[in-house]
Amino acid sequence: MGHEKTNSGESLTRLIVQSYMEAFNLWKEGAFVVWGAIVVPAEIFRGFDNVVYCCPESHAAMCAAKGAGPDLSQIAEALGYSLDLCSYPRIDIGCVSGGRKLSPTSGLPKPNLLVSDNNNCSLLVKWFDVHHRNMNVPHFIIDVPFCYEPQAEKDLDYILTQFNDLISTVERLSGQTFDINKFYDASMQTARALFEWKRFLECAKHRPSGLTVFDSFVQMAPLFTSRGRTELVEHYKLLADETEERVNNGVFPVPNEKYRLLWDNIAPWHRLHKMDMHLRELDANIVAAPYTSCIGGLEGSFELFELALGKDPLWYMARTQNMSVCPYGLDLRFDAMSWAIEQIGIDGIIFASNRSCKVFSVMQMDLQKRISEKYKIPTVMIEIDHADPRKFSDESANMRLDALVENIASVRSSV
Amino acid sequence: MKPLDSVKSLRECGKPVVGCFPPYPPLELLHSMGLTPFVLWGLRGEVADAERHIQNYACSVARRLAQFVMSDANGLLDGLLFYNACDTLRNLPEILREGLAESGAVAPPMFRIHVPMVPTEQTDSSGYLRNEFESLIGSLEAHFGVRFSEEKFAASVALYTNMRDLCLQLEEDVSQGTMTFTDFSENLMSANFLPVENQVELLESKIAGSGPSLDSESPRGRVIASGILAPPNSISRLIDDAGFRVVGNDIAALHRSYAYAPETWSDVYDYYAHVYGNHFPCTTLLYTADKRVEQIMKMVSGRRADGFLFVGEKFCEYEYLELPYLEKQLKELGTSVLAIEISIGDDTAVETYRTRIEAWAEMLEAAQATTSPRVGQGGK
Ligand code: SF4
Ligand code: SF4
Repeated sequence: MGHEKTNSGESLTRLIVQSYMEAFNLWKEGAFVVWGAIVVPAEIFRGFDNVVYCCPESHAAMCAAKGAGPDLSQIAEALGYSLDLCSYPRIDIGCVSGGRKLSPTSGLPKPNLLVSDNNNCSLLVKWFDVHHRNMNVPHFIIDVPFCYEPQAEKDLDYILTQFNDLISTVERLSGQTFDINKFYDASMQTARALFEWKRFLECAKHRPSGLTVFDSFVQMAPLFTSRGRTELVEHYKLLADETEERVNNGVFPVPNEKYRLLWDNIAPWHRLHKMDMHLRELDANIVAAPYTSCIGGLEGSFELFELALGKDPLWYMARTQNMSVCPYGLDLRFDAMSWAIEQIGIDGIIFASNRSCKVFSVMQMDLQKRISEKYKIPTVMIEIDHADPRKFSDESANMRLDALVENIASVRSSV
Repeated sequence: MKPLDSVKSLRECGKPVVGCFPPYPPLELLHSMGLTPFVLWGLRGEVADAERHIQNYACSVARRLAQFVMSDANGLLDGLLFYNACDTLRNLPEILREGLAESGAVAPPMFRIHVPMVPTEQTDSSGYLRNEFESLIGSLEAHFGVRFSEEKFAASVALYTNMRDLCLQLEEDVSQGTMTFTDFSENLMSANFLPVENQVELLESKIAGSGPSLDSESPRGRVIASGILAPPNSISRLIDDAGFRVVGNDIAALHRSYAYAPETWSDVYDYYAHVYGNHFPCTTLLYTADKRVEQIMKMVSGRRADGFLFVGEKFCEYEYLELPYLEKQLKELGTSVLAIEISIGDDTAVETYRTRIEAWAEMLEAAQATTSPRVGQGGK
């Protein structure tokens, strides 16, 4: 939101610093440390007295945003990890292989258990295998069936079985007992936080939008570091209140917003500020992205799927396992994007073809075609790597963004 | 023969032809239900249609598969079967549908299973797998108007097991130097486009025809070849011409596919629980990761290999994330590793490969001359 530090901006910094510091402190005091994929329900770990949860993907994104991506990747590349691999594992492997000092948080506390999840990608399972072998730490794999239609009951049951096995595994390895009430409480905190998160994102519907996608990219971090905590609810309530208030007071990040865009891919972490500035100069604003809006929904849907009173939170966690960006097919992705175009009001779409995240990108050509055919809105495809600036060209990206905006303007003037 | 022509000849058996996504679909099941299955890999040629639908940073296996299906506007395929083999492949079914629609064609019916990717010691997924197969059998019966029977299934399993045994025998011939690696991989990759009965005939004739050892002198290096696909012929020929003996392979389209067949099973569900549960480890079978390195080490020392040739499929993250660790372990065992990469344009880079393969042969030869006992024999 603009570039002056807002209350929610300060709260974000505090929350992130606090969560990393707390993880290190508890680890030093002997806590059981879990490294989990971004979509592993961390609320499960809050059901234990002394289990700390860390998220290597989120940490890699932070390293990339702070400019440490290339140096950390190069450490992994020198060890033989191909430049064609996703930049997150390259950054993370680089970090644990002697690159700690380059990380803004000095890496993550050493894990006792790795919990991967193949719902976004199986690459992540292979990545955690690297740590499993090198650090000699057990590796639990959560296997989530991909869906071409809304998640099937049989798949939900299969995921639930695995969650229960995960609970027993943590009990066995940590020697701690799972407290279901603590887990329920954590789940309720997350549910409240998600409600507030959606309230914040809703501000994009206003014209001009109350936020830019870059705000939401930055603000999503606590969803992976602080799930299940009251601080998370408080933070997102502050963020949503503050954003709504700014909208009510007529304060907008792109006051003269002429072009409302949608971003289709992971955040370009190393280019947030530069791209934001470039678009502001054009009076263009990326107001939404499936990447941030899918959180709290079902199969990519932008709408909140609420944890209803009386529903088993573990069931809810299993039901939302396909919510994230990659574990569902083209038709579902098309439906979600259509909703965004119609409900948020989108003039053009940036399909960010991401060499690093092939699994997210590989259906974009058909998605682009179908969206263009149905909505007749201009779209553009740009090449990015979400965390490796060496595979990104400002010049070429800006040229395409400029062309997109011109295209929207010319469509308008011809109507 | 071009892949499309091969499929045309598959149709000559008069049975519905089902193209299966690689690498390890349940071929025996389809065969037992009166269908002719084949695996959609080993396809070559241009990928012009696929390029309009898939970015060039997807692997050649996926792009060629897409090209093959999209160019099948004449409906040679009666069905497609896929499973959760990899991140790229799981996105393809709908892309194929879009590609076919572009040329006015309708996608063939698609059948799908999800093979559990959890280790058995972590989660009991046998009920889930059973349910997947029950649904698959039900869909195949409903669509093709056929009936599943355990007797026919057992007969198909026997045929496939025989075929796999013959592949192992031929592999042994290559290891003994009575067949070149080029002939071996070319024959096996083309056998994929034959009905299993003809595969058996072809393999038997090759075994009968293999003569005495081709190389009178000892090879310049005994190597294990690894990767997803058998290397293109141009590269296999370089390997043979350089004087290497391929004493074993860890290739998904070869050894990883035919290495294991259950000896006993109670029914079709139990059979596939064994097949997937005890499969030769593969980078794509996520739960086999721990066993993989161990198996490869066993293969290297059992076959007295002194080199490991990794022929990487560009952009295959499964293979490339495992390579550094494997390479480290192999080197600690005293096994030399050469990694080369293949992609769509592989045939144009033959000269580069030649230089590297030749240099590697010289290196292994020099190492043999100075090392006794042979490295990789547990001697280091
Ligand atoms: S490939 Fe994509 S989904 Fe997988 S770890 Fe990388 S960014 Fe995440
Ligand atoms: S080569 Fe690798 S990425 Fe390509 S289809 Fe096979 S497993 Fe998937």
